[in-house]
Amino acid sequence: MAAVKKSTFPGWLLDPLQPTRAQAEPRYRLPEDVRIWAVPLALGVGLLIVSIVGWIIDAPQFYFSYLVGWTFCLSLALGALFFVMIQHLTRAQWVVAVRRLPEALLWTFPVLIVLFIPILFGLHDLYHWTHPEVYDPASPEYDPILAGKRAYLNVPFFLVRVGFYFFIWTLLAYKLYTLSVRQDVDPDPSIPAQQRKVSAWGMPLYGVTVAFASYDFLMSLDPHWYSTIFGVYFFAGAFFVALGFITACYVMLVRRGPLAGVVRPPHFQDLGKLMFGFTAFWAYIAFSQYMLIWYGNIPEETLWYRHRLEHGWEGISQLLIWGHFVLPFLILLPWAAKRMPLLVGIMGIWFAIIHWIDLFWIAMPVLHKELTFHWLDITCWLGLLGVVVGLLFYRLSRHSLVPQNDPYLARSLALH
Amino acid sequence: MLKELLRSLKASMGIYEAREGAVYGLLAEFSDPAALLHAARQVRKAGYRHFDAHSPFPIHGMDEAMGLGNSKVGVITFFTGTIAGFALGWWMQWWMGAVDYPLNISGKPFFALPPSVPIIFELTILFSALAGVAAMLALNGLPRPYNPLFYSKNFARVTDDGFFLFIAASDPKFDQEATRRLLEQLGGYNIEVIEDRGEEERVPAPVPAGEAAVPTS
Repeated sequence: MAAVKKSTFPGWLLDPLQPTRAQAEPRYRLPEDVRIWAVPLALGVGLLIVSIVGWIIDAPQFYFSYLVGWTFCLSLALGALFFVMIQHLTRAQWVVAVRRLPEALLWTFPVLIVLFIPILFGLHDLYHWTHPEVYDPASPEYDPILAGKRAYLNVPFFLVRVGFYFFIWTLLAYKLYTLSVRQDVDPDPSIPAQQRKVSAWGMPLYGVTVAFASYDFLMSLDPHWYSTIFGVYFFAGAFFVALGFITACYVMLVRRGPLAGVVRPPHFQDLGKLMFGFTAFWAYIAFSQYMLIWYGNIPEETLWYRHRLEHGWEGISQLLIWGHFVLPFLILLPWAAKRMPLLVGIMGIWFAIIHWIDLFWIAMPVLHKELTFHWLDITCWLGLLGVVVGLLFYRLSRHSLVPQNDPYLARSLALH
Repeated sequence: MLKELLRSLKASMGIYEAREGAVYGLLAEFSDPAALLHAARQVRKAGYRHFDAHSPFPIHGMDEAMGLGNSKVGVITFFTGTIAGFALGWWMQWWMGAVDYPLNISGKPFFALPPSVPIIFELTILFSALAGVAAMLALNGLPRPYNPLFYSKNFARVTDDGFFLFIAASDPKFDQEATRRLLEQLGGYNIEVIEDRGEEERVPAPVPAGEAAVPTS
């Protein structure tokens, strides 16, 4: 069997493999229409260019808005990575028909590295612990708490850590994505075992890197505050939003024609169950964090919530309780609701919106004492999302929409 | 009217009433799960509603073949146990903490939601679980120590290697001859008439020759 050719450098960032579209079964091909990926990509690039204007006007606002949008895309990719690994580890059969889109989403990591560059320029505006004067005992800005954390919170080590996270994530993404695409043209029977093996050593590394990445990117925005469950909180949100996004994409694909009859209501029911479950999981973790801090009642911990319970932020906190947990929980609870692809798809889009609000609620009170929305919040978020979605569909247009030689595909297609 | 409603409710639980003459229904054996599945589908198609399939293990697709629809356990659980447990947990936390025995613990409010959520959650789960089990038992008509089917010696094999379809005499379409022919056409064998002789004072009806139910010892 012919091996899949690798891409060369700049193209490698977008898709590490040459197209295998010709070998895909016709019913598993995305329609030959450049607009599918070019339109979201162009919109995304356009919005990012508009955001540059915002950077000139108000740089700190730009950096915070950009960080929220960037962590949103990061959580999409991380959620997809967990999705793919956990399905391999459990040898899930139902999922095969809906596994290719999350696999293609994995290769968002290299683009995210490139998109991280603007944040490098904004470290001073974003992270208070990058200011050298807080470590100088002679300075009026001297902060003994931050001085005590200096061994961890310093820029060189921060960059080393970020490099390590992305090395691990890109490596895992490369292995899982290329193994699956290679299987499309080469039904090598050892591939499922290799995918399981990668997932097995990848899972613990994933857990550690996601937790520390959440501390570095989000928790250290308020460097005095700490919460040991924050990594799980970020993971809960990441898997939550990835499930919603994947489901919403499949609903759109099925309604537009490709994959109609391949991905059917039983698949959406199973995706809906996961969405339902991780709505509750997010609430469980968010509440655990809140209750322990409430009960402990230690000022250095409660301050973080204090900021988010006044000056208008309390409205967002309320919105998270209702919109991130209570309503999705009740809507997705009935059997019949999860069998309705349109409803599950709309909930998927809602999951993306509410997860962005969650990240906004984590990051933005550091910049604004009062609840403030800025147009940059939207342009940065949708701009980055447009780039990610455009490149996702670019990869999907080059390969089969379904892992067509997976040994469990027939069972997944027959799911009922 | 009420009696009729009660009868159909009991029938949905698998508890059927015998006809005059104590005829409870017809029991037929089938050779394998596929034959039983086919028979259940055809019996349903023929318009019967009061029938049940019995097998040593669950047969995939049987609920659909019998036209049972979705289980109602979830809905009943939610509207009884879940809501009751939630409300009771909330009320209990408030009444105990703020009304009946207010205690000042490290200056915390007598009643506050954050520490009450775990208790409300646990009571919600507990009541949901209890309501779910109760609903499951009720919908199955359990516990049911007496079932006329136990009069059939052959039926004892249902826990081992026997696949049975039972059509109750209470079904409006039931006709001893026509129903027996239908079961035979579908591949049923060892067809026997089951009589409900559970109540001692009832006089057993004369049994047609050749269709004698197996007598109890």
